[in-house]
Amino acid sequence: MSTETTIRVELTLDGVARTAEVPSGALLVEALREDFGTTGPKLGCATGDCGACTVRRDGEIVKSCLELAAGAQGCEIVTIEGLADGDELSPVQQAFWDEQAFQCGFCLSGMVFAAEDLLRSNPRPTDDEIRWAISGNLCRCTGYEAIVEAVRTAARRMAPPAG
Amino acid sequence: MSATEVVDGKLYAGASVRRHDGDRYLRGRVAYTDDIVLPGMVHAVLVRSELAHARIVGVDADAAREQPGVLAVLSGAELARHAGPIPNAMDPVPVGGQPIALHCLPVDKVVYAGQPVAVVVAETRTAALAAAELVAVSLEALPVVLDAEAALADGAPLLYEEWGTNLLLSGTAGEGDYDAVAAASDHRIDGAITTGRSAPAPMEPRAYIADWDAREERMTWYGTTQAPHPLRHSLAGYLGLRERQIHVVAPPVGGSFGYKNFGHPEEYLVCLLSRLVERPVKFVEDRMSSLRYGAKDTRMTFQAAFDADGRVRAVSCALLANHGAAAATGAFGMAFAASLALPSGYALEAFHGEYRLAVTNKGPWSPMRPFGKETASLLMERVMDLVAERTGLDPADVRRRNWIPADRFPYATTTGLELDSGDYAGLLDKVLEVWDYPAARVEQTRAREDGRLLGIGFGFEVLPEGADIPGALIGASDISTVRMDPSGEVEVLTGVTSPGNGNDTAIMQIVADRLGVLMSEVRIVQGDTERCPFGFGNVSSRGILTGGGSAALAADDIAVKLRRVAGAMLEVDAERIVLHGGMAAVADEPERALPLGVVAHSLYTIGGILVPDLEPTLESTRTFQMRNVRHHPDEHGRIMPFSTFSNGLYVALVEVDPATGVIELQRHVMAHDCGVMINPRFVAGQFTGGVVTGLGAALDEEVVHDADGVQRTDVFKSYLLPRATDVPRFEMVHQVTPSPFTPLGTKGAGEGGVACSMAALLNAVNDALRPLGAQVDELPLTPERVLDAILEARA
Ligand code: FES
Ligand code: FES
Repeated sequence: MSTETTIRVELTLDGVARTAEVPSGALLVEALREDFGTTGPKLGCATGDCGACTVRRDGEIVKSCLELAAGAQGCEIVTIEGLADGDELSPVQQAFWDEQAFQCGFCLSGMVFAAEDLLRSNPRPTDDEIRWAISGNLCRCTGYEAIVEAVRTAARRMAPPAG
Repeated sequence: MSATEVVDGKLYAGASVRRHDGDRYLRGRVAYTDDIVLPGMVHAVLVRSELAHARIVGVDADAAREQPGVLAVLSGAELARHAGPIPNAMDPVPVGGQPIALHCLPVDKVVYAGQPVAVVVAETRTAALAAAELVAVSLEALPVVLDAEAALADGAPLLYEEWGTNLLLSGTAGEGDYDAVAAASDHRIDGAITTGRSAPAPMEPRAYIADWDAREERMTWYGTTQAPHPLRHSLAGYLGLRERQIHVVAPPVGGSFGYKNFGHPEEYLVCLLSRLVERPVKFVEDRMSSLRYGAKDTRMTFQAAFDADGRVRAVSCALLANHGAAAATGAFGMAFAASLALPSGYALEAFHGEYRLAVTNKGPWSPMRPFGKETASLLMERVMDLVAERTGLDPADVRRRNWIPADRFPYATTTGLELDSGDYAGLLDKVLEVWDYPAARVEQTRAREDGRLLGIGFGFEVLPEGADIPGALIGASDISTVRMDPSGEVEVLTGVTSPGNGNDTAIMQIVADRLGVLMSEVRIVQGDTERCPFGFGNVSSRGILTGGGSAALAADDIAVKLRRVAGAMLEVDAERIVLHGGMAAVADEPERALPLGVVAHSLYTIGGILVPDLEPTLESTRTFQMRNVRHHPDEHGRIMPFSTFSNGLYVALVEVDPATGVIELQRHVMAHDCGVMINPRFVAGQFTGGVVTGLGAALDEEVVHDADGVQRTDVFKSYLLPRATDVPRFEMVHQVTPSPFTPLGTKGAGEGGVACSMAALLNAVNDALRPLGAQVDELPLTPERVLDAILEARA
């Protein structure tokens, strides 16, 4: 084996306390995929431009290819694998399925987290606001149209009943 | 419209059923190739050339070899002792091109910047990357040629000296005497269009794992490929193995668009490496690598002859395409396809096209949707608009006057294609239903009075798809197996694969309908050469065409047996049995019914008693072949290698800012005809994706090199894919003209929207610039180019 120096990283991953030895310079996305063995976050560019590596770290969404693994020490990390509540998909996930808002699915981490984040702060977004919210992510398959529709559908379903 | 749940009494086919496996995708539980970890797996990293054209003098790997964790460092020369050149996915020689013989790493010279020259295999990717830094490659620089015209000039530096030229392929297409018809026509115009180089750029880069089992002498290959069976054949040839020694597994891919067909050097390289180090070897390319593969980069010049009434009588054109470095992927076929796709869906008296495809020191061409056919659209749509401008007729009317009339199909074009069916004018009618075009023109005039530059542009496409290439493993046929087990559950195995477009779900819809089962009772297996019947994978929009077609035939075989057994059990003629909703019922007597599980179980257990002459299995493997392709040359030497011709008409409304050259796309109305749609929602997704690819190529995606041939656009900060904020909401309408040659009336739907979006944008921007007397003919229409055109017109 090589003589890479490693550090011990402890974090909560999708609700489970986890520890791994991680190469000291490793990016968060590398550590999550290679050392913690989670494959939800994808590597699409490694330059922060596509969003496929998105996770939530202590409540905030980050592109995990722009973060060092060391910076996640003690943090709570949620990946797309941890979004569903048991058998039940989150309303955003469900809407993405219902509205056929993905094809190859490689962009889903970025798109779904961006949508979750938007709807937390803005439960009734306009189409322009939706497009803006997801614009940090690239999708080469869908042309974005169905994604916008899915976010709209999720917003509608999550809205408190009028009255 | 939300995805529909199909309720009792309805059919799945034609309904926008949602993805059967969407839950797994949304939970991040789908394993793509890079998510696969095999025990003992090691990692390959490539050492790349910094020069665009150079002789390889030597590769010094001693320091790298000594690094901890390094198993092997190999140059192209060393690898060439173990294997010869990569087999070509398509061979240019039979169509008059040069012989392509590429090694998985180059042996004596590099021909583009970033080309791999050596490979490091190490225990971890980090160790391999570190060791790769220590590999010293000594190169002797050669003169670089980047421009296609320059590459074909006398004395140009040669990439492949054995060819004696940089001309990879050339040819002519068409029939009729252009000069004679032009002489008899009222007017002539000429023009030119240049497309920039764009990259297929799926979100998932390519990734491959080869696992050589030395004891069993078997290779298991996992990777991003659209065509597992053809790849297996190719790997066997390369490795000197029998096909039965190779197992190709194609996990779900993160987008392909042609890029992940086969013939990429690393597909073969990982196999050699795994055999050498006797460990599973993984290679994952980085984004820079993927962005070095391009397409388009074509210059077209044209002349057209027309009459005062707007009738275009003859077109003559010359295409010069820049392939970059040669490739074994069959990408050269894009130039050939471009020439055949002309003159699009227009009825001409004469057409003459000449094409030349040059190699240069740019990265290689890769297959990319719509496989060169954007050239045909751009050229003919520009002709139509120029004719409108010269005659003063409306561009919509000029098109109407020139389209092949709906009652003349099947129609033989001047390039030898036999267009199956269509109603092109019907597409225009559909557009006009959703868009008040005359009002838009009035608004445009008013805007012009205010000094605003509004433009309207049409873009029309006819897409030859469902390719069947003589001598290549790309055929317009496929095999599917459908089986029902004694519980009544159904398994479908297809030779086609899905790049994520949903064709697997759509095939399940077709099969579920034919067997009368619920979709939840059906599962599908794709992308595995040990489990699935032979197939050509997903290229040329064939998933539903031939994959769905063969699955339908196989399902029908089983339905016949189920009806006979159920008929015997219910004591009626088999013809009276209806399969629906998981039941076999007597027609018009729904209370006389049996669950299909019971019927299936009975067939397997007492079939010999119930129907003595029935073969007691519920399994069928069938092939569906498109019969309208033709490999025998006609009297002009032309073959007919395409089987369906979907088409579309787009209208774009743009506003150009005269101060900045920035284009705002305000409306994009799309009318499509891809025949019968099995799942309209999936089809719509194909088109919206294609449109955005087209908009990218029209507006901002461009691979750029510096004078030394080093690529300047190698990350998504410099190679600009459209983002959600860059595109408007689309308006889409469908027309259904069923193909007379497919069992379900479907046509290809995988390449639509790219070409006509590019053409619509080019025409719209030129329409916007017309009051200034400015013209643009080079894509992408970046603000600089638009501004230059405006300034030039003002000067
Ligand atoms: S991989 Fe992190 S943004 Fe693309
Ligand atoms: S679905 Fe393929 S990249 Fe978005």
